[in-house]
Amino acid sequence: MEPHGRHSGTTPSHTVEGSDPRLHVEVYEPAARTAGAGEAGEGEASGDSGGGRRDVTLRPILLIHGFASSSKLNWVDAGWISSLTAAGRRVIAVDLPGHGLSAAPEDLDSYTPSRIRADLLQIVFDAGARPLRGDDPSSGLDLIGYSLGSRLAWEFGATQPELVHRMVLGGPGAADPLAAFDLAAAQRYLADGTPIADASTAALLKMAQLLPSNNIFALLTLVEAIKTEPFDPTEAVPRMPILLVAGEKDERAATMTDLAAVSGKASELVLPARNHTNAITSRAFKNAAIAFLAG
Amino acid sequence: MAEISFPLPDLGEGLIEATVLEWLVSAGDQVERNQPLVEVETTKSAVELPSPQAGKVVRVYGEPGDKINVGEPLIIFEVPDDTAGIVGTVPAEAAPKRRVRLSAVPDED
Repeated sequence: MEPHGRHSGTTPSHTVEGSDPRLHVEVYEPAARTAGAGEAGEGEASGDSGGGRRDVTLRPILLIHGFASSSKLNWVDAGWISSLTAAGRRVIAVDLPGHGLSAAPEDLDSYTPSRIRADLLQIVFDAGARPLRGDDPSSGLDLIGYSLGSRLAWEFGATQPELVHRMVLGGPGAADPLAAFDLAAAQRYLADGTPIADASTAALLKMAQLLPSNNIFALLTLVEAIKTEPFDPTEAVPRMPILLVAGEKDERAATMTDLAAVSGKASELVLPARNHTNAITSRAFKNAAIAFLAG
Repeated sequence: MAEISFPLPDLGEGLIEATVLEWLVSAGDQVERNQPLVEVETTKSAVELPSPQAGKVVRVYGEPGDKINVGEPLIIFEVPDDTAGIVGTVPAEAAPKRRVRLSAVPDED
């Protein structure tokens, strides 16, 4: 499937802490409002979205995909882009470093969660997001994250309260499976096939290797960087309303309720029969996210 | 009226089958082109398949949990007779064959 929507190649590229992260960004404009609410549009951008197609411009939504995934897999193929743009939302989708069409730098610092958050902040600003202003529905930014993307969204929202309006976190947990990843065992396995004892590490590496397009070196560098900044949801707590969503069979989101307790402003949605891999396409998930972010 | 059957498309990456997660349409529904039809899961990821066709759904194949092979029937649409032959034609996967002319020919467009 070809990525659709408008490439934001014309936006200025800014350096963050002295270097250009070369992250791939796609910006999708809201679908034209034609007859039939709920109709799934293509999310195609019109070159000049000039006059009067919609009366209110709503704040953009930043999408942050999960580990070993990409904007294409996590959001385009799973049907999120078409659903969100059909709901009248403008969408900014970013490939994380070493993922999708983004660059895979060799230095560890490019992959630290703090550096990624700084890059995301620059990207959303370049894409037109502006701080919240009272009740202005065009101001601010909404977030949707999945898995690792939920962790990044949690921290982004906690550190950017003047920008983030609401967030939806999919497959989230209070623990950090990437910080607990056994890098040495993974490297032994890649070198000579020595089996990996830790089940979570084995599953994450298997997931990373499923797609031939994944850059294993970059993914392991990301893991190494995350180990220097493991997720601690109590360190910085987002104060805006949060919707937490996970499949009933999602073991990685078993601690979702702990996150809700830390937030104090979170509601939870459990998707029957779904797991960490297949919750992402759920129509109930998309509908709940769209309704929640419209609030 | 004519009926058009669509098979499970090639999902790339050498995948040969997919498991139905959830149908988003059912028999009797009128659907638009590109409207989401069904969620399926492969060994690599979960995807939502958009409709290749506008029309009325006659039948869908597979309950949640059922496996469907690439190329096997996924959905049948009913469409007006006069459009069946046009919009129902699935382009062959073969590379376009084109003759190369060695002499210049004025462009007739």
